[in-house]
Amino acid sequence: MSKATINEGAVGGRTANRIINILLVIGCLTVAFPLYMTVIIAFKKPSEMTNDVAGALGFPSSWSFSNFAEAMEVTDFWHSLGNSLLLTGATVIICVILHSLAGYLIGRKMARIKAFKAFYLYLISGMFVPFAVLMMPLVKQTAEIGIANRFGVIVLYVVFFMPMNVMLYSGYLSNIPTALDEASHVDGAGVWQTFWKIIFPNMKPMHATVAVLTAMSTWNDVMTPLVIMSGTDENTLPLAQLNFQTQFGTNYNLAFASYLLALLPILIFYVICQKQIINGVVNGAVK
Amino acid sequence: MAEVILKHIKKVYPNNESKKKKKGEPEKKKSNLLITEEGVVAVQDFNLEIKDKEFIVLVGPSGCGKSTTLRMVAGLESISGGDLMIDGKKVNDVEPKDRDIAMVFQNYALYPHMTVRGNMEYPLKLQKKDPAEIKQKVEEAAEILGITQYLERKPKALSGGQRQRVAIGRAIVREPKVLLMDEPLSNLDAKLRNQMRAEILKLRQRINATFIYVTHDQTEAMTLGDRIVIMKDGVVLQIGTPQELFDHPVDTFVAGFIGMPQMNMFDAELKEEGGKYTAKLEDVEIPISEEKQERLRKNKVKSQPITLGIRPEHITLAKENETHLTGTIGVSEMMGSAVHLHADAYGKDTIMIIQTMNLTAEEQKNIAIGNKINFMFNGNMVHLFATDGANLEV
Repeated sequence: MSKATINEGAVGGRTANRIINILLVIGCLTVAFPLYMTVIIAFKKPSEMTNDVAGALGFPSSWSFSNFAEAMEVTDFWHSLGNSLLLTGATVIICVILHSLAGYLIGRKMARIKAFKAFYLYLISGMFVPFAVLMMPLVKQTAEIGIANRFGVIVLYVVFFMPMNVMLYSGYLSNIPTALDEASHVDGAGVWQTFWKIIFPNMKPMHATVAVLTAMSTWNDVMTPLVIMSGTDENTLPLAQLNFQTQFGTNYNLAFASYLLALLPILIFYVICQKQIINGVVNGAVK
Repeated sequence: MAEVILKHIKKVYPNNESKKKKKGEPEKKKSNLLITEEGVVAVQDFNLEIKDKEFIVLVGPSGCGKSTTLRMVAGLESISGGDLMIDGKKVNDVEPKDRDIAMVFQNYALYPHMTVRGNMEYPLKLQKKDPAEIKQKVEEAAEILGITQYLERKPKALSGGQRQRVAIGRAIVREPKVLLMDEPLSNLDAKLRNQMRAEILKLRQRINATFIYVTHDQTEAMTLGDRIVIMKDGVVLQIGTPQELFDHPVDTFVAGFIGMPQMNMFDAELKEEGGKYTAKLEDVEIPISEEKQERLRKNKVKSQPITLGIRPEHITLAKENETHLTGTIGVSEMMGSAVHLHADAYGKDTIMIIQTMNLTAEEQKNIAIGNKINFMFNGNMVHLFATDGANLEV
């Protein structure tokens, strides 16, 4: 709603504005409250976790990092972090490279050649297949061809994220005028050079979007590494965090401390990428 | 040396319309393009030999196939039929990058992530030229176009005119054999367009390239071209120097397209008696010069209804006692050195350009809206067209 319309219907507009504000505050609270709980529980001792309201919501009696230290020990933090970083990093890099290439090809050809349109729809349909359906065959197949390990998980991720990423990339291509491709061809570049030197750099905002989406899903995913890598001794952070849930109960204080630790790297990554999403709009290319 | 030869060049866009028609959908005709079994023919039988360093302008209304032709020369569009030769070599299936051509696009097509320098270096870097040489060439080109101070800027920080200079710079920096320009000035405002037009003329003196320039603006075509190719609906209507096109248009379309303001057209009658031709507009006899008579005789033109064309600048005022045509002034546009009059004469809006310096004070007073005006023209300046539009003299 524009400012003008708010001013015109002065009373009604103001009421509507207030309602929107209240809704936004409620929205903020629903996000902030669990985060608040996570932080305070991560700092509390198990003995402080009483059943009354103060026990659940009050500040810890002393702010100590002992929970974090212990959580790091229990989860073999550095090793698990390394695995998580490896899986996420490799997946993101491969996805950005492969999926942007595929998106470029499909996005540019789709309008003119029907086969590419069909292929595109086929790829996109992959988004509607739930993981649960694929889980058992995948476990079997990866074991059979000997990639029931970190490598296999990366391969699976690259495949799983392909439909959405290709859709995002080929959709974004409409923002990059074909005149740029043509100018590059006339300037003496082949298709490959055109892609790497002209198209790839100009897809930066979409790289950031794809990287964030892919990284978040990979970083937080439990299921794929759980079923594929179960034979190996390697753990990712979410897998290691499963240790906190035992048959006899859950140590919330350690678990939440660990969750907070796991949250930090992906949060930093998001902040970096977010700037790119906003920054990079193709400007000045064509009129 | 870079001659470009287009032999029977043809472009057909295969379409699915024929299939749709079978389903009984109503036929929608978008344009007058020829539709054959193969599809829509965007360019039909284009024949042209472009000499080295010639400046050719393709001109025509939108959708006439001029850009398609240019893009076929560039290699951005496949050629459906005919031969395209650059420098004696057939290049129909040669990739754009191997044709040694450069192109300036209507919408500039600058690489937004590179600086102006980066944009201009790009074609040279692709040729793997020596960095020192690249630097020197880019700076030379920037100097020619007056964009040296913008070299480190990104395209988004430039104005339209500056962007177009960068686009031209990127095209000339590698000294291509053929320089293609696809309506390079149409995104600029009128003043800048005039300025850039003059600069393109200057640029032409400085670089050794064959130019092919596409525009829909007849002024650009007339001022820039050594030869002009006029196209309509995928067909080449006439190829010639600006003067030839202006003096001897092949049909009413060319006559109307070339020249600003447009040529006036009247319905008239041509009579032939014993090898002597006279034209009659209503009751007024229009003289036809001996030169034109000769051409009409040669073409064995018979008596027939014709379209008589006369350019606004060739109309003169006539005295009451002379043979004259009459109209009523509807609009008078004072341009300073000349007055553009729009008069209603014989059911047609007739435009005439009257030089103010030849007018007496009394005549000037008489030129007022609503007044009658008497005019005539020299028999050598009339154009005679058959009713189907073809010039009877050609």
